[in-house]
Amino acid sequence: MPTITVKSIINGSTYQYVDNGEPKSGTAKNVYFSPDKKYVVAIFKKTPDFTQKQRLIKIATDHLNRIRNSEGGDYYIDELFRWPTDVVEYNKQIGIIVPLYKPNYFFKKGYSNQDLIKGDEKNGKWFAGAKFRNKQFPLSLDGSELGTWLSYFQICVNIARGVKKLHQMGLSHSDLSYNNVLVDPVDKSAVIIDLDSLVVPGIWPADVIGTADFIAPEVLATKHLDIKDPKRKLPSRLTDLHAFACLVYMFLLHRHPLKGGKVHDLDTEKDDLLSMGEKALFIEHPTDATNRPKLNQVSKWDLFWADVNKLPYTITGPYLKDLFDQVFIKGLHTPTERPTADQWEQALLKTTDLMQPCSNKNCEQKWYVFDNTNTPKCPFCGTKHTGTLPVLDLYYQFKPTVWKPENHRLMVYSNQYLFQWHVNRNVTRNERLSAEQKIPVGYFTFHNQKWVLVNQKLTSLKDLTDDKEIPIGQMVELTDGKKLLLSKEDGGRVVVITMANK
Amino acid sequence: MYGEPIQALNNALSSMVNTLRSDAHALDSLWISIVTFDREVNELVPLTELASFQLPEIVCPQSGPTHTGKALEMLYQKVKNEVIKGDATQKGDWKPLLFLFTDGKPNDLQLYREMVPKIQSLNFGAIVCCAAGNLADDSLLKELTSDVLHLDTADSATLKQFFKWVSETIEQGNKSQGTGESMALPPPPKEITIVI
Repeated sequence: MPTITVKSIINGSTYQYVDNGEPKSGTAKNVYFSPDKKYVVAIFKKTPDFTQKQRLIKIATDHLNRIRNSEGGDYYIDELFRWPTDVVEYNKQIGIIVPLYKPNYFFKKGYSNQDLIKGDEKNGKWFAGAKFRNKQFPLSLDGSELGTWLSYFQICVNIARGVKKLHQMGLSHSDLSYNNVLVDPVDKSAVIIDLDSLVVPGIWPADVIGTADFIAPEVLATKHLDIKDPKRKLPSRLTDLHAFACLVYMFLLHRHPLKGGKVHDLDTEKDDLLSMGEKALFIEHPTDATNRPKLNQVSKWDLFWADVNKLPYTITGPYLKDLFDQVFIKGLHTPTERPTADQWEQALLKTTDLMQPCSNKNCEQKWYVFDNTNTPKCPFCGTKHTGTLPVLDLYYQFKPTVWKPENHRLMVYSNQYLFQWHVNRNVTRNERLSAEQKIPVGYFTFHNQKWVLVNQKLTSLKDLTDDKEIPIGQMVELTDGKKLLLSKEDGGRVVVITMANK
Repeated sequence: MYGEPIQALNNALSSMVNTLRSDAHALDSLWISIVTFDREVNELVPLTELASFQLPEIVCPQSGPTHTGKALEMLYQKVKNEVIKGDATQKGDWKPLLFLFTDGKPNDLQLYREMVPKIQSLNFGAIVCCAAGNLADDSLLKELTSDVLHLDTADSATLKQFFKWVSETIEQGNKSQGTGESMALPPPPKEITIVI
């Protein structure tokens, strides 16, 4: 197999790839591996025009450097993006150099009963649909590849951060879909790929309108118009926010938010165009039930997740419910109403504080969001929570003596940790946290039939109900109605304890 | 088909099925059926979901007539009965794709010509005929569809490339869509002679 040497059009650096005659072929590029498998050379099938070439160069230089030099730069470059690092030319063809994905993004096992996809990339599509996680499906993924429900929250957080960063830089991805993210539920991570067709409206126009399932309704509804028509809508930051919300919905609920039973046209293609575009309607719209999935028409492999009565979107908890309402009801046809990536990140993270491990060892999801009832149970397997369940509501000091709710709740389970971002409202849980801030400050445990918080690092923890300081190394019992001051410092919070499932 | 071409076809089909079976999108939506035709017309595999699809070895007689028309007749009935049409309460299936392989010419020419407009009326997403070897008659196939590919040699490598193209055609619905309107077939492989 010949090894081809290619040269950078930016600074003359050289790269090599192995031409095995069977490149991995995407829509726009053929992808070849370097001999050391550290990077790939992706050659464009159609030679980019002048603007596209300038854009590639800018992405691989200015934008790359901007990210690298920003706060948390390594995290973005190493973990969240596979960012093009150079632009090369060979035989008048243009290509880009992209670092190879980490090994955890290739299937270790793949299907449970054969090796067909072992070693293949973990394209997001495998984890978005319901079929591949149904053990009865002839080609289901092995249980060891699927992770737990909690995994998908971390996956969505990663993607949210990536989208947030692009948008902060004034860029839009323009083709966000499960094909352009790799996800690993085992390591709980995700990486955004195909970052070579970023869009800046007015300067770098969109080359693509997106991938089916993720194209925003306004883009589909105006796709018949000429590209120069001012009414024509093309990918932008706002369409990314639609695509991203679809991804979150699909990764958490394994069904599509707009693909329900409502028929708009007898012609299948026209019907699809209308139901994803002009006439798009959320399948779980609270007052308009006409697009609910018809279970007798759904593939038998998808039934478990398709049943919106058994697993409504509200199982994702109150914070995400609000955002889903905002994006799929209010913002569906009003793009400016769509929640930002930052809002999604915060809501996803807050939701993980509401999660409880399911006590059923055989439960496939393993985690669920507390449903705010007095007798909580796992929505996936129906197992009831046994024993009491402390619920901590966070309050912040609005003015001296007046404390207001944060709309943030922390569910306690045994060996659950307390972090700085719970203690102090000036610490935000995001990628910019220092290593120090990622160390727990205390933990919760069920000890001698009592729920306790063990103080590991809090210098001014105080039991306000019993008016007692809790020094480091000591513990405090959690009882119904008790108030704890977590920190006396500026931004320090008070928690109020409620015991559920008494 | 007989001898090397049919062996090569079996081999290429099997690698195409494997390619599709490692594609999440294809597994989510694709159903396949195989109809063979020589003197007899036989539904070798009824319409089956890709995940459950088992590819049998296709066996053809050494000689005898090629009843393409009869095959289209059966296909017409099958499509009519099995492909779900949209109505007020149920969404329809996606348009089916038809790939026809032959190394001969229709011996039941009258029936073939009768069936051509009927098949065309079924609104296939694409009809692609693949004529292999020097006995295949491209001009008759052109009456069915403008997409006729002629494989001079039906060897394994050529067929494999052709099927790669077929699977790309099938997988296309899940790729990024351009800002233009065309949802045409991807360009066919270079090595194959295209009849125009």
